Amino acid sequence: MSMLYLADFSVIKPDFGLIFWTVLIFLVLYFVLARLAFKPIQKALKKRDTEIQDSIDEAKRVQAQMAQLKDDNAKLLAEAREESTRIIAEAEAYAKKRKEEAVNEAKEAAQKVSADAQRDIANMRDSAMADLKKEVGTMALDIAEKVLQKDLKSDVNQTSLVNELVNNLN
Amino acid sequence: MKLLLRVMLLLVFCGVNTALSAQHDDHDSGDHSSHDGHGHATEVHEGCAHDDSYDPASVILHHIADANYFEIIHGVNLPLPLFLYAPGHGLTTGLSSMLGDDHHLKAVDGYVMNHGRVNRLADSAGDAMLSGEYDVECILHKTEVNEAGKEKDTYYAKINGQEYLLNAASVGDGGLLGGGITNFYDFSITKNVFTMLLAALLLILLWTAVARGYKRNEGQAPSGIQSLMEPFFVFLRDEISIPMIGEKHYEKFQPFILTVFFFILFCNLFGLIPFIPGSANVTGNIAVTMALAVIAAIVAYVHGNAHFWGHVLWMPGVPVFVKPLLTVVEVLGLVIKPFSLMVRLFANITAGHIIILSLVSLIFIFGNNGESVFGAAAGGVVGVAFTLFMNCIELLVAFVQPFIFAILTASYIGAAVEEHEHEHGHEGSHDVEYENLNDSNPAYA
Repeated sequence: MSMLYLADFSVIKPDFGLIFWTVLIFLVLYFVLARLAFKPIQKALKKRDTEIQDSIDEAKRVQAQMAQLKDDNAKLLAEAREESTRIIAEAEAYAKKRKEEAVNEAKEAAQKVSADAQRDIANMRDSAMADLKKEVGTMALDIAEKVLQKDLKSDVNQTSLVNELVNNLN
Repeated sequence: MKLLLRVMLLLVFCGVNTALSAQHDDHDSGDHSSHDGHGHATEVHEGCAHDDSYDPASVILHHIADANYFEIIHGVNLPLPLFLYAPGHGLTTGLSSMLGDDHHLKAVDGYVMNHGRVNRLADSAGDAMLSGEYDVECILHKTEVNEAGKEKDTYYAKINGQEYLLNAASVGDGGLLGGGITNFYDFSITKNVFTMLLAALLLILLWTAVARGYKRNEGQAPSGIQSLMEPFFVFLRDEISIPMIGEKHYEKFQPFILTVFFFILFCNLFGLIPFIPGSANVTGNIAVTMALAVIAAIVAYVHGNAHFWGHVLWMPGVPVFVKPLLTVVEVLGLVIKPFSLMVRLFANITAGHIIILSLVSLIFIFGNNGESVFGAAAGGVVGVAFTLFMNCIELLVAFVQPFIFAILTASYIGAAVEEHEHEHGHEGSHDVEYENLNDSNPAYA
């Protein structure tokens, strides 16, 4: 029974023809596939792997560069802000100083102008006073002269004379 | 998980095998009682009457066997080319259809079609019968007991009322398995060769299309069939070639590993298709697995470096009296490695096919050769359910087996090309790797 089973079990008996064809087909398949497909694919994959690695490396490098630039920018910005604050503070201080100076100058000028004016006024008053005194003296002299020249006998004459003098005075 | 699967497969296989044997025993003993009159020496099915009873074992073994034509449906065959060589008689070529069909067989130059395979009349038929064309009445099957008391299946061609012993083609089993050198060699394009050619053609078309994709999409993302196959390529490179062979040498062997993997995979998948152009049991034939295993072994050993051969032939670092013993063991190992590759693939695929065919046979066994329709229906329900389940496992096996074949081939190549920086530093990382590899090997056995 077991022998019958084995005798029919032909797949366990290595057929020379099948061995021959398997070797031939496999070797031809290997050379064709290796030449036309596997080697070019291997090369292409390797190239792509290298390219991807290079790209990643490049991206990392650029990223580092960007981070550096960003840091630099932030630093610059901080510096600029500080500078601007400083400039503004300086400008404000200067402006305040200038204002105070201007105000002081103006006050001084005003004081000077008023002092000059008061002095001028005083001068003019003095000179007017002097002129007046001189004029009054002259007038008194004129009046005295006229009084003296006229005949001061009657009251009517005296009155008219005084009126005339007063009118002349005007 | 894999171990569990294997145990399950083994159990299923053993179960089916026992069932088959039991069935066959019944059949056999029945035959004996009915043919008691013929004596013990020979059991003969007389005349050309066709035996209609269903014998699952012979049907299954017929279905997993190679054939000289491709059966499209029962009775309709695709003829395949024959290249038959008989020493002393030269080459006979033609299409398998020249030997007639199932109803009308012909003998051409002594060649006769016997259940799908070309046989040749034994030399005892005489030179007259071994040339020219004759009509064959039928093929007779006899079970003979030889001098050693062993049963042997023999076939006879009945031509002009005369019975002539038939020889099968020469096979390389050295007579151990019932074959051996006969009076002719069959180098025909058989069903298996046809399927291998088909698989090779498909693989070439597929991979050249993929390679074109790499040329077209250079510097771009893969597309279409290229992106479908790229994961396979990368997986086999990163999981087999590089870890097993090493960064330094893997590129040289990557095409070989890939070819081994895809050739076996495609042959397996063709074997799972139950009709033309599939159905050929290519990787379940020991001739195919033997050729592949021997090629793999030759590739590994040809690239073996001085370090490898030094370890095989005269193991360094062990006492001198142990060295010859280790040499014997290592040289045996050189043969056992491809032998294990051969048997593993052959047994896995053949076992799967036998299980599926056995499950389909349940329909006829339960149906009691067409006498019980309900039995056949029950067999059909059970058979379909289990066949569906088995087909899923077979699909898994169709992928797992080429992977194992490829990974072991790569490990043999890796062991052959492995380089040691320090000849005496045997606790280096390479040794650790090698030990791990050996530890993990039983998982693939």
